[in-house]
Amino acid sequence: MSDSRGDGIAAGAASTDGDSTEGKSADPTEGKSGNSTETESADAPTDREHRREVATDRWVGIAGAALALVGLGVLVRQPSLVLAGAVGVGYGVYARTGEAPTPTLAVTRSVSDESPAPGDEVRVTVRAENVGGTALPDLRLVDGVPPGLAVVDGPARVATALRPGTAVTFEYAVRAARGDHDWEPLTAITRDAAGARERTSALDAPTAIACTPELSAGGDLPLRGLTTLHHGRVPTDVGGAGVEFHATREYRRGDPLKRIDWNRRARTGELSTVELREERSATVVLLVDSRDSAYVAADPDAETAVEASVAAAGQAFSALLDGGDRVGIAALSPLDCWLPPGSGTVHAARGRETLATDPALAPTPSDDRFYRSLWLRRFRRRLPADAQVLFFTPLVDDTAATLARRIDAHGHLVTVLSPDPTTSETVGQRLATFERRQRLRTLRSAGIRAVEWGDDSFPVAVAAATRRWSR
Amino acid sequence: MLAVAVGLLAALDRGVASVISPASVVVTLLGVLGVVQGVRYANARRDRKRLPTDPGEPERRAPAAVPGAELDDRIARVASPAPGGYRDRRDLRDRTREVAVAAVARDRNCSRGAAATAVDDGTWTTDPVAAAFFHKRAGYPLRVRLSAALRGRSNYWYGVRAAIDEIERIEEGEP
Repeated sequence: MSDSRGDGIAAGAASTDGDSTEGKSADPTEGKSGNSTETESADAPTDREHRREVATDRWVGIAGAALALVGLGVLVRQPSLVLAGAVGVGYGVYARTGEAPTPTLAVTRSVSDESPAPGDEVRVTVRAENVGGTALPDLRLVDGVPPGLAVVDGPARVATALRPGTAVTFEYAVRAARGDHDWEPLTAITRDAAGARERTSALDAPTAIACTPELSAGGDLPLRGLTTLHHGRVPTDVGGAGVEFHATREYRRGDPLKRIDWNRRARTGELSTVELREERSATVVLLVDSRDSAYVAADPDAETAVEASVAAAGQAFSALLDGGDRVGIAALSPLDCWLPPGSGTVHAARGRETLATDPALAPTPSDDRFYRSLWLRRFRRRLPADAQVLFFTPLVDDTAATLARRIDAHGHLVTVLSPDPTTSETVGQRLATFERRQRLRTLRSAGIRAVEWGDDSFPVAVAAATRRWSR
Repeated sequence: MLAVAVGLLAALDRGVASVISPASVVVTLLGVLGVVQGVRYANARRDRKRLPTDPGEPERRAPAAVPGAELDDRIARVASPAPGGYRDRRDLRDRTREVAVAAVARDRNCSRGAAATAVDDGTWTTDPVAAAFFHKRAGYPLRVRLSAALRGRSNYWYGVRAAIDEIERIEEGEP
């Protein structure tokens, strides 16, 4: 970032008020020549929090250099050297007299769309007006872009100088991603004219966007045989009405004629009734691992395993609701997240909202601490007795595997669905890959179904696993 | 010191004192003092640690952790031949051993106990470096020791890499 000197100069993707090329100027002089400035404003100053005030040490040593020059001039009896040293002394005094001004700014931030779809570009415009009585000869503004969003166009910062009553506007674009995103305070760094002292302040201008993805059903997820008494699509070991043959039994008075095994009647003369495998609905809880350790990816800039898990959970949620099952959502997180199992249109909307914006499933991890025993106790208390669990976890630590086994042991059949965030470029990464594979094997050997997906999409991985399980 | 020496000389020898002009001496001494002190002050800039405000990179999305990055940090810490890092070494060895035992048990279709014995006594592999990583008494081969000494690495660093290579070979089902 370049220094700028003189009122009304804006550097970077910015302009002072009135500039028709707003957001496009990269030349400091362009802003100076083409901009008009506001001279009056009724804006109230934005709340300011002082963060730090330090000496920049830009002029450290200037007094020594001046003294050395004066000394040398005296030594060799050269008045010009003494004069040059005196100039240096002047700079030294100049550097010590100034104070970094306190920025009294009215900051407004606007976004082009407060409810974008994932992947949309959202333009953000920030305007800061100097509503104080002091000129800001060196002002740098750095916007507090939410950590879950990436800037795709323009820097989210500007360097400028503002006289009282003037304003600067800068613009950038972010790529929308799932979740609620709150902007953090804008950082203002001011320096005195000599640049010797620097003051950092935070200016809070609340702004937020909410990005809620549409849910699309993906993959016909095979559920395990823990069901409710209601009719559904999960085959059971109970004989009754259905489509798949289950058994034959003695005829009882009142059995429908179409269920009588007429072939057997012809062969043996006995009446018997064919029973079909009854299909019932299930109660399913989608459990998403969103502990700090689950925010991992094969590349630092790639989508995290939590994002992959939430996307897959969304597909499973839709598919299961469409199949007549009762579905709930929970998060393995320090923050509480629980949507009780249910069905219907309203429940579908609630589920979509939970997966998109619940703080426990935020795009960045919570700072709170996770207590495994407390979480498990609360989860078990809430879990209906007939509920099975689809557990979305990258399995990058033993805790997730242990919890899956414990929940399964308590009678809630567990299916682990694991996005693969591992890579094998370094020794440590290879060891982490082996450990994860071992956890998957251990779960499978304990009778817990496990599906993992990496480059494949979630529905493709589910379809492959379904074929494997049905053999 | 110089001023004191010249003063003493002038006190002892009147001839010297008559040659030296008091005004000239004082000005020269002031000049020397100014140069010396000035250079000293100016040099202070070199040693000063400047801590400019770092607003970070808000344009970049919060980077995700890569599984195993923390293990790589530990491995880098124990790569030096200097003693220390005992906890890191023990933890890394334990975790690598767990994976090695599971891989051997699966590969040889034997119990975990038998696999653990094979790993501990070094018979799980034909690579002497990987074997030495878990074997309590077997030393690293001479070539590894020499290479470690020349490259300023620890034997441990060579051992953990060889063990991971060997586990990968077993995982991939290579002979």
